[in-house]
Amino acid sequence: MSQDHFNKLLQCILAAHEDDQMSCEVCTEQFDCLAEQVAAGADMHVLLPAVEKHLSCCPDCREEFEALVSIIRAEDEDFTITSENK
Amino acid sequence: MQMQTERTNEQWLADLTGTPDVQSYALEDLRQRLQRGIFFYLSRERSDLAQLSNQELTQMAEDLAQDATLRVLENLNSFRGDSRFTTWATKIAVRVAISDLRRARYKDFRLDDLTADDELLPLTSKALLTSSTLTPEEAAERADVLTKIDRALRDALTERQYQALEAVAVRGVPLEVVAERMGTNRNALYKLVHDARRKLRSHLETQGISMAYMLDLFQD
Repeated sequence: MSQDHFNKLLQCILAAHEDDQMSCEVCTEQFDCLAEQVAAGADMHVLLPAVEKHLSCCPDCREEFEALVSIIRAEDEDFTITSENK
Repeated sequence: MQMQTERTNEQWLADLTGTPDVQSYALEDLRQRLQRGIFFYLSRERSDLAQLSNQELTQMAEDLAQDATLRVLENLNSFRGDSRFTTWATKIAVRVAISDLRRARYKDFRLDDLTADDELLPLTSKALLTSSTLTPEEAAERADVLTKIDRALRDALTERQYQALEAVAVRGVPLEVVAERMGTNRNALYKLVHDARRKLRSHLETQGISMAYMLDLFQD
């Protein structure tokens, strides 16, 4: 195991929230509503701290949420990029 | 690509469950919309796909949008109206796209590839104890803590927790992929990893090793 892997092990222990009881399924149910607000500039920590906590521990949910926010932002800006002008 | 018709949530639901002509038009609108979003994501947010041509990305986005549109149609009853319909549909498309990318990237991953129990920390130790800037005392202190971490990994965790923790938290393999290989689901695996992290942390703290102390000790 490399130093990088060991650091990840440390980080994962550090990031273990005692009170994160949310499942991935419950978390993703909130995504659409939350992503619209975050894309519009709202602070996730204020909106739903429990979801924020789960996202900080769950890389799969975080990846999906960030992807959704990025697409909504692009849609709101009417896509500055399309398949024709990439 | 043509601009789609703007619809309210109610119109989307009505059109997608309407007469064959109306439904077909709405499905095509939805597919195009999802394809644009997926293409944006693949081309702008995925550096790991940077080597793909525009044509390849377009084809990939088309295929994923087709799958996502069908998935949206199958799940229409679960739309609760908490957001714009298109945002909800995009959420489903994101899941379809990212799941597909994860499966492709880790198609050859096997749980057997993970480090055997007795190899995890000795290899780490070698890397962490040979830094030229360490004094002999610091190296000894690190070795002592590594031994305790090694013991904690073995004593506090079940074999399944250990395997899941290593795959997900250390190796960075997506939960979805590991869950599939372990014959479980993402929710159950997240809980398994979460419990493993808490147990490990708690076990170390009872040994007098705080997280702050470990971070400080192993910071180079």
